[in-house]
Amino acid sequence: MTNRERIMNILHFKDADRLPAVHFGYWGELLLEWAEQGKISKDLAIGNYDGSEKEIELDRIIGWDCNWSRPVGYNNGLFPPFEHKVLEVLPDGSQRVQSPDGLIERIKPGTVSIPSEDDYLLKDREAFETLYKPKMQFFPERIDLEYFRNFNNTRPQDVAVGLAVGSVLGNIRNMTSVVGMSYLIYDEDEDLFADIVDTYADMQYKCLEAVLQTGAKFDFAHYWEDICFKNGPLISPELFEKYCAKHYKKRNDLCHKYGIDIISLDCDGVVEKLLPTWFNNGVNTMFPIEVGVWGDQFEPARKKFGNGLLGVGGMDKTALRKDKAAVDAEIERMKRLVSLGGFIPCPDHRLMPGTKFELVQYYAEEIKKIRI
Amino acid sequence: MSIINEISENLQTGKVKAVKELVQTAINDGIDPSTILNDGLLSGMNVIGEKFKNNEVYVPEVLVAARAMNAGVQLLKPLLIEEGVQAKGRVCIGTVQGDLHDIGKNLVKMMMEGKGIEVIDLGTDVSPETFVNTAIEKDCQIICCSALLTTTMDVMGEVVKCAEKAGIRDKVKIMVGGAPVTQEFCDKIGADCYTSDAASAADAAVELCRSAS
Ligand code: B12
Repeated sequence: MTNRERIMNILHFKDADRLPAVHFGYWGELLLEWAEQGKISKDLAIGNYDGSEKEIELDRIIGWDCNWSRPVGYNNGLFPPFEHKVLEVLPDGSQRVQSPDGLIERIKPGTVSIPSEDDYLLKDREAFETLYKPKMQFFPERIDLEYFRNFNNTRPQDVAVGLAVGSVLGNIRNMTSVVGMSYLIYDEDEDLFADIVDTYADMQYKCLEAVLQTGAKFDFAHYWEDICFKNGPLISPELFEKYCAKHYKKRNDLCHKYGIDIISLDCDGVVEKLLPTWFNNGVNTMFPIEVGVWGDQFEPARKKFGNGLLGVGGMDKTALRKDKAAVDAEIERMKRLVSLGGFIPCPDHRLMPGTKFELVQYYAEEIKKIRI
Repeated sequence: MSIINEISENLQTGKVKAVKELVQTAINDGIDPSTILNDGLLSGMNVIGEKFKNNEVYVPEVLVAARAMNAGVQLLKPLLIEEGVQAKGRVCIGTVQGDLHDIGKNLVKMMMEGKGIEVIDLGTDVSPETFVNTAIEKDCQIICCSALLTTTMDVMGEVVKCAEKAGIRDKVKIMVGGAPVTQEFCDKIGADCYTSDAASAADAAVELCRSAS
């Protein structure tokens, strides 16, 4: 059996010779740590991202079969993006920088990771109409049509390949920050937020349609949202339903029309309260089910929604920072979830610094011993 | 509806402009600034805090309510200083070194201010020494640390140690919170208090300040 067959069979409640060893990538800092420990070469640690050749090479070294978060896609960002430019250098040496999304970020000297959000451009109707709306339109340049026309012949045949179908709210949150998004929702111009969401969604629908019309076939569709945290959603479930439900339905109906019946959605945090909107509008695969840090769970969701709800994820990645016994315990717990059917274990988020290389190898090896 | 109730209601729905106008009218009408603050603004913020705790409202509703509260407080501040109104306590708060997430920290700050506590905001990426030195210099009853990353939460343990070293551990309480933080972790590092959400954090801070005085 190929990994593609294994994945598709399991998610359709059919037999498979074994579980595929699926993962969700790494924090850059972890790869550097592994390089320093001499586990991997420095070269392999740098420029190693989802779907890159280096990542696939690392899969081979570790024993992974694939990364779920490796879909192919189109450009659904602001087009063209805002110019990335330094607006101001402050007395303490930190820079105020405008990001491609129109966020104003502050970069302190000496910080390597992500900058902190300072301000944002998408504040009112005028900014939306003049700065953002023109960048949220459909342009043919968003899609490499040639690539998709040849896709069925050029794609890897042995692994499941997903099509990234964008986001409804996640990217808007990236353009405005959580605070900015909150203010826009409650803007005095009550239609403004809906107009932003609708404009951005319509463009993505057109992109999706253009891709599917090329005849390219995909094993699953994959959304990215990241709109939840420790205590639940970053927006009320009612407002989420009001602004977003119709867009999921429209996009997912189109996927169904083209034969895609597995539609997964990447959202971390505790997602329970948003699941009804997703599930009732065609999203049927939870990912990555962050059980470790927040105790998000697959089983209660399965009980509630039945076998129509599938899962990829749910393995507490923090076990991979501990010891063999902790990993064994997770594998035992995974066996139970796997026995429910329609579930593929995967670490519940990117592997973070402190994760032990040998334990990851051990997990990948052991998980592949499980038969379905 | 009395103007005080109107202030509270409009704050709860995040109406900045209305809150500002109503607070100004109340001031012009000669209503005592502490009454406007306590029975209008802070009581409205408390309602939102409770609802947030019970998942009846979410982050956006709290953020817009807090924005409205701040707009009202700005108008009242000079008058309150004149009146010599005392805060219920003083705390310093920050996100720990290496961590730039500040939304949760800001919510905790707003909720604490909503309870009448004076909050010194140290921002993000705050070193243990800065927490402790601020607590000493500004005579804070509580140090509040927020962390959102599993890789930065350990800095909280260093804040505890740093406070011990500076000899203020018996005078200053240390509160911890943020996405990966748990009660178990709080106990492990020897901090004094953990809560999972901002409204409970404010309640706990009021208690800690009360017992400190
Ligand atoms: C928004 C966000 C960002 C924004 C931050 C914007 C900002 N101004 O804060 C940006 C885009 C900048 C960002 C950057 C990064 N992020 Co981030 N981010 C998030 C996200 C989506 C939401 C966090 C949030 O605001 N929640 C809402 C607030 C209200 O919740 P909260 O902070 O938990 O606070 C509540 C309670 O915890 C409590 N509380 C908070 N503080 C305190 C303090 C005290 C004393 C008390 C008592 C209570 C308390 O009260 C609050 C309200 O009830 C989370 C997802 C998640 N699942 O949490 C990831 C997340 C926190 N980020 C993560 C990561 C990895 C990063 C990056 C490292 C990404 C990268 N690879 O570069 C960088 C880190 C940059 C840095 N050095 O800090 C991870 C952390 C994983 C881990 N286990 O450590 C998360 C969990 C996402 C994930 N699943 O991987 N991020």
